[in-house]
Amino acid sequence: MKTFDLQRPATVEEAAGLLPSDRADRSAVLLAGGQDLLGELKDDLVAPERVVSLSGVPGLDALTWRDDGSLAIGALVTLADLEEEPRVRAELAVLAEAAGQVGSPQIRAAGTVGGNLNQRPRCWYYRDPDSVCLKKGGTHCFAQLGLNKYNAIFGGGPTYIVHPSDLAPALVALGATVELVGPSGARTMPLERYYLLPEQDGITRETVRLPGEVMTQVVVPAQEAGLRSTYLKFRERSSYDWALSAVAAGIRTEGGVVTSARLVLGGVAPTPWRCPSTEALLVGRPLDADTIRDAARDAVRGAQPLSQNGYKVPLTQGLVTRALSALA
Amino acid sequence: MSAGPTKDPAPAAQDWQAADRPEWGANDAHPLLNTDIPRVDGPEKVTGVAKYTHDIRLPGMVYARLVISPYPRAVVRDMNFRRARRVPGVVHAEPLEEEGVQLLFQGAGGVVGIVAGESPEAAEAGRAEVSIDYEALEPVVTPEQALADGAPGVGRGGRNVSSVESHGDQQAVAAAIGGCDHVVQATYRVPVQHHVSLETHGVVVDYDGGDSAVVYHSSQNVTGANREFSNYLGLDADKVTVLVQNVGGGFGAKFGAGLEGRLACELAVELKRPVHLMLTREDEFLMAGNRSGSEQRMVGGASSDGTFKVLAVEADKHGGVGQGALPRPPYIYTVENSVAEVRSVHTATDSSRAMRAPGHPQASFAMESMIDELAYGIRMDPVEFRKKNLADPVWHRQLDRVAEEIGWHDHPHRTQPGPGGDGVHVGIGFGVAVWGSRSRDVTVVDLRVEPDGGVTASTAVQDIGQGARTLVAAIVAEELGLDAPEVRAEIGDSRLPPAVGSGGSTTTGSIGPSIKDAAYQARVELSKRVAPLLDAEPGELRFAGHRVFVAGDTGRSLSWREACAALGDAPLRVTGRFQPHLRDQGIHGAQAAKVQVDMLTGRVDVLKMVSIQDQGLPLNRMAIRSQMNGGMIQALSFALFEERVLDPDTGIMLSSDMENYKIAGCREMPELVAIIDDEDTREAVMGMAEASNIPGHSAIGNAIYNACGLRLRDMPFTPDRILTALGGMS
Repeated sequence: MKTFDLQRPATVEEAAGLLPSDRADRSAVLLAGGQDLLGELKDDLVAPERVVSLSGVPGLDALTWRDDGSLAIGALVTLADLEEEPRVRAELAVLAEAAGQVGSPQIRAAGTVGGNLNQRPRCWYYRDPDSVCLKKGGTHCFAQLGLNKYNAIFGGGPTYIVHPSDLAPALVALGATVELVGPSGARTMPLERYYLLPEQDGITRETVRLPGEVMTQVVVPAQEAGLRSTYLKFRERSSYDWALSAVAAGIRTEGGVVTSARLVLGGVAPTPWRCPSTEALLVGRPLDADTIRDAARDAVRGAQPLSQNGYKVPLTQGLVTRALSALA
Repeated sequence: MSAGPTKDPAPAAQDWQAADRPEWGANDAHPLLNTDIPRVDGPEKVTGVAKYTHDIRLPGMVYARLVISPYPRAVVRDMNFRRARRVPGVVHAEPLEEEGVQLLFQGAGGVVGIVAGESPEAAEAGRAEVSIDYEALEPVVTPEQALADGAPGVGRGGRNVSSVESHGDQQAVAAAIGGCDHVVQATYRVPVQHHVSLETHGVVVDYDGGDSAVVYHSSQNVTGANREFSNYLGLDADKVTVLVQNVGGGFGAKFGAGLEGRLACELAVELKRPVHLMLTREDEFLMAGNRSGSEQRMVGGASSDGTFKVLAVEADKHGGVGQGALPRPPYIYTVENSVAEVRSVHTATDSSRAMRAPGHPQASFAMESMIDELAYGIRMDPVEFRKKNLADPVWHRQLDRVAEEIGWHDHPHRTQPGPGGDGVHVGIGFGVAVWGSRSRDVTVVDLRVEPDGGVTASTAVQDIGQGARTLVAAIVAEELGLDAPEVRAEIGDSRLPPAVGSGGSTTTGSIGPSIKDAAYQARVELSKRVAPLLDAEPGELRFAGHRVFVAGDTGRSLSWREACAALGDAPLRVTGRFQPHLRDQGIHGAQAAKVQVDMLTGRVDVLKMVSIQDQGLPLNRMAIRSQMNGGMIQALSFALFEERVLDPDTGIMLSSDMENYKIAGCREMPELVAIIDDEDTREAVMGMAEASNIPGHSAIGNAIYNACGLRLRDMPFTPDRILTALGGMS
């Protein structure tokens, strides 16, 4: 790890001002809970001159239920705080369950919502300091033809990472928006549009965030009454691991018939992977065994496995089955 | 701290004190041994007071880091250490190889430089500034690459296949196969496993350029280690002291100074300053050894009455540039006809080293799988099939015991697997173990009893976590009627009387008799001094419950302190030596596993494991159960997760951290039942740790088959393998 200056601005605007404005400029990075950044620093994947800590900015750790029923989650809210918030547990099960399955208890105590949404991929070629892969400015994606059991079955090419966040699929399922503050002010956007596929200029980055921007909060809009939701995460090692595949599902039914559905996959694509056709298939049908079977099949339609990750297709199909069955 | 649980002295318990030579006495008549004895160093370890080599901090000490090529085979084209030398705090940054040199294999073969700094951070920063251009060569990291036509020679002498051994009568085997009612042809593959000691390999060399040095070493062998280090330091052996007070795991990989030990000594000589050189976690994966992998191609046959008729084996050992290990087939089972050809297939990777029962878990997986396949093939209960083909009745009683404990007889499907299909299925599987548990006549124990009652037992043995320090104290304590914490165990110092290295489960059988002999002599000598005070013959005295009393007349007694006061001004000193009659060898072992297989996700959850182990006199029951628990856990982790991963195109190790080299964690822990086989009434001691690590993963693999009919012949049993295999089944 290279020596760096640690800076602790007092406002978001000041923090944004300390960050580089050019995408190619990696001289300064943002520090929230540090659970991903410290690993990147230690593996020399980033070697910044300055680390800009958000710990001195007041208010970013606030979790606020607004009068309109929406939930504003500050970027520095820890995963443990989110997981334990009673109303989140009661009304937004998918979010509490996702937060509660990140890493280990130690990581959840320090890791933040902003950090979780902005963490870098875990692909072992990317993380290996000696492998100059496409994501690190090299000429090709080693996973494409190499050892790829953990890589993408959807949305890959020319890189094949999977996005490692557990919160992202859950928040996309809830229709969350994110707020970014940069030199030219603040902007908000649906979280779903925050992430970039490799083919969308998302090769060396995973999000649309500009280097000078700070993610300040995530807003979960008020949910219509009757939402039932869940997050199913499948890990190779239950004690602490990233998802081999995960399903965030939210369903509303009236008179036994599905009136709205959100289905977002994690661990299988470079972004949270929404399944619009499956959502459409579900609406208007009873959530019975036939519907669930059809939905699980539909969710993995179009999967393009690499040489060693074909197992993710039946795995994901199985998880969708389990998730929808749990909500039926 | 409070004393360990001891029993009240019962007169019968001291019968062995009447013998005219050291005797353990009946296994069920011990006041202290054969009970649960808490570790004497437990409080220091759990409070962090215990110092490991990694924890040593000395004035003026520098921290060293190695520069290691990521490529198994490469030519070093250009090296630049100048920028590293300019990093603040860096005191040394030098190449260890010349430009143009060809690096031959991953790990120790790729160490090309060394950097040292005033702090770990400075050393790390210096290492990051070293720039080296490698011309990577064809990696030769998989057996397929090594065996391909025209592959570069990477083994010793340029040969990629060595140590071919064959035995057996090919014609007899071929004839016998024809007479079998069921024949199985299968290939079993075991990946390379790492030791993953929590404390990495390394040393702290305390040397300032003078004529003596102290070396703190994370090691499995103290005695004689000063000689190796003295060579590297250019000092007389008696001027070098090696200290091994606490070791954070070794599992067979920590013998000798290693390359890191030699380099640390050379750097200390050059800098005339103490050097702290502990491998990083990545270095540890790259260069600190491993358990060799294997591919075993087998044909086995049985008759319908359950007789194991024939076994033909072709086995490859995958030990990198090392030989690898595999016991000679047919391993534990008795077979009427067998033939085997075993060879080492070399790759340009780190050499295998000894690892807890070297070769045995590999052999176990193939043999126990084959046995299971044959048993189910003839629709016979796999426990009964095993018993029919295991000669020694000890295994029969042990299999019966673990079968009972795991609930085998109430299990719904014992001669064919469960029906499979969607959902979650439970299965049970078995395996057995064997180990030599030999001992060596090398250990000397000095014992000193002070006139104030203090007792110190000294021998150079190392405690690598197996509880040797507690044994040194407890054996003496029982003989003298004391509690274990009342005996000071002085160990882990090369200046102390010699002791055995800790490998092959030899420690207990090698040190136990010497400790017992010292304790016996001390008791006899003390009896002579005390007898006149009690108006008794020395042979009539008994030591128990902190008292010395006359046998059959406990009213005539002295407290331990009163008795020791009879020594006058001088302490009593005796020297214990190895007594062959106090040890034995040869142990068995059986394990059962109950698993749950989720057909939808491929998840295997191990629900319960049962282990039974014989070991003669169980000196410390708590320590033995811990060894069994550890053996089961290590086998579970091997079964479900552990696998070295090398990129076949570049040779780079992708599993060089504990994110990608996965080991089991808390949530993977099943119910663990560790049973001490008290039907082993041998009044002698021997080690048992290796055996408890041999059959667990085999039992898990067999349990998966029993659950759902899925026979997994490649380890580890990860969801991708299971789902892929299920896809092939349906």
